[in-house]
Amino acid sequence: MKAEILFPEVCNLYADTQNIRYLSRCCPALEIVETPLKTRPAFLDEDITLAYMGSATEKGLMLAVETLLPYKEEIQAKIDAGQLFLITGNAMDAFGQRVESDGDWHFDGLGLLPTRAQYTMMKRQNSFFLGTFDTESGPMDIVGFKSLFGHTYGAPEEDGLFTMVRGTGRNAKTALEGFRIHNFMATHLIGPLLILNPPFTKYLLLLMGCESTALAFEEAAFDSYRHRVEEFHETGRSAFYS
Amino acid sequence: MGKLRFLFALWMAKLSIPALKITHHNGTDFPGSLAIKLCPDFLRYVEKPKTIVAVTGTNGKTTVANLLLDVLEKSGRKVMSNRAGSNIVSGISTAFIRACDGRGRLKDCDMAVLEVDERSSPKVYPYVKPTYLVITNLFRDSIMRNAHPGYIADILTASIPTDTRLILNADDLISCGVAPENSRVYFGIDRLSTDVTDCMNLLNDMRICPKCSGALRFEYRRYHHIGRAVCESCGFHSPESDYLARDVDFEKGSMVIGEKGETADYKLITDSLFNVYNMVTAIAALRQLGLSHEEIAGELDHAAILGTRHSEETVNGVGIVMEMSKDKNALACSRNFDYIQNRPGTKELFLMMNCLGVAKNWSENPSWMYDTDFEFLNHDNIRQLICAGPRARDYKLRLLLAGIPEEKIAVEDDEFRALHHLQLVPGDDVFILYGVDGMPRAFRVKEKLKEMLLAKEETIDEG
Repeated sequence: MKAEILFPEVCNLYADTQNIRYLSRCCPALEIVETPLKTRPAFLDEDITLAYMGSATEKGLMLAVETLLPYKEEIQAKIDAGQLFLITGNAMDAFGQRVESDGDWHFDGLGLLPTRAQYTMMKRQNSFFLGTFDTESGPMDIVGFKSLFGHTYGAPEEDGLFTMVRGTGRNAKTALEGFRIHNFMATHLIGPLLILNPPFTKYLLLLMGCESTALAFEEAAFDSYRHRVEEFHETGRSAFYS
Repeated sequence: MGKLRFLFALWMAKLSIPALKITHHNGTDFPGSLAIKLCPDFLRYVEKPKTIVAVTGTNGKTTVANLLLDVLEKSGRKVMSNRAGSNIVSGISTAFIRACDGRGRLKDCDMAVLEVDERSSPKVYPYVKPTYLVITNLFRDSIMRNAHPGYIADILTASIPTDTRLILNADDLISCGVAPENSRVYFGIDRLSTDVTDCMNLLNDMRICPKCSGALRFEYRRYHHIGRAVCESCGFHSPESDYLARDVDFEKGSMVIGEKGETADYKLITDSLFNVYNMVTAIAALRQLGLSHEEIAGELDHAAILGTRHSEETVNGVGIVMEMSKDKNALACSRNFDYIQNRPGTKELFLMMNCLGVAKNWSENPSWMYDTDFEFLNHDNIRQLICAGPRARDYKLRLLLAGIPEEKIAVEDDEFRALHHLQLVPGDDVFILYGVDGMPRAFRVKEKLKEMLLAKEETIDEG
């Protein structure tokens, strides 16, 4: 089994790549493949169980789009065929239509998601996120964080990955957070999402076909998760950082 | 109208100072906050000294600014500073309010040394134009405020006046890229025996060439992205240092500064590498200000690191080391963990970097913990690790993932109760690690620990 980390030299902010390191701690059979910029992604040609891309600087995001753009149609075909993707933080914006900013730059995304990101460069959008992820056996709580320069707009009210309970969805006007199209999962949540969400990680390990869904340091992970879920439900706490 | 508004703001701010003194709040930024509220461009009108040294960067700016102040004042210069307040626009305004008369004219001042928060640059530098701007380094810092170091570099580039001379860290390619049109000098530390080429840290923010995005090769790397790099594709490389620390010897406590083919001897002020950087940074700035190496070395001999950041004492045979490890700042914590690991002796660690400022109203984002090299703490000379406070469970999980045996780890929500988990073996050093928000609480924890150790001594005496 292989997990591919796309462009780790730039898509590595906020410890996002620790998601994949954690998966490999849970599933020792999982080999990590790192694909640098200016290189054809391995998942297009090889049997890659999970393709991953994490948060980047704005310049890093542009370089990632530049690298992926020649393979846009092939990536779309992989999504349609059920290739498993996990995309976190602003990496999601690379898959959208366009990234616009109030600065002197903007760029087109891959156009694989029906959404446009809008950044305000001197205003960070910081919040915690409490939401749910629906599975066949019922919803599970999702906890996480957003620290972004903006939100994403214009998508139809469908194909959300998570449903927001507290915090923000794709933007302030929707409870849908991120996108799920077949097995393409993208979220604006940043950081070690899988370490923070042991139930979701178990779900992912199952989806990947791992022999066991036991987690590395499962007891400590669940202890931390339950504590955070409780904290995020406390009404005395604002979901928004100020 | 602007000037009248300024004078009104100045008088109101000055009037607030005695009121604050009476209510024992004289260390706050209230005068500056009030002045800016009444006159948003207050800093435009207040008189500035002819020479202004601003110190910014992710880590070390307080230490460097304090070293500069200590040396300059001891050498007879009259220096205004924001040492007593904050490094944001309100703190800098407060410093000017205290230093000027009722008409906004500076009283008896040769120069200013100002510590400036990087994010505050757009509000400060349009009005307070530094003659010299020292950038210690640029690393990841608070995710919420600072996003990533490239973002901060862009903010600085857009804010720094074109005639400001930059004093930059040659070993840090991120800060080297700031304001490329400005004149500049560089400081650095020559290759050390402990340097490596591959990155041994989780944080590594300079992997590709800033010019062509090709792969960078490090000729030597100190830690993270600090070192000397060259681009394999276009030949871009780190600049040469105008002030280069050589022959750094922690055992002898000495180093040599090389400058234009000449050398000068210096004594080290502490045994940590990051404070060698702070020293070299200060020396470069002081040389730019015209002080001789003899003058600088003479005054630095008496310099010390601020007690709120690092202090040590021994009680009943147990060392207590207070070590500020800024929460939300993976670099600061990683450097401290490396220092602790390499320090001789057995240690007991008390982790209470809990971002207390947001502990009740929000909830800390623990992402920075996974950028931090907790792996350094997986060492035989660390006897135990106590995780205390609101984020104790997050610390435990992170420590386990760093390979630390579970039996070494204790978790307790209450920091004072957590003290009872310490083994307090005579000869051990207990490191209390705390962030900025948690500093007052950390020092109360220290006092409680001292009480426990003294009580232990009395029990032994009675026995």
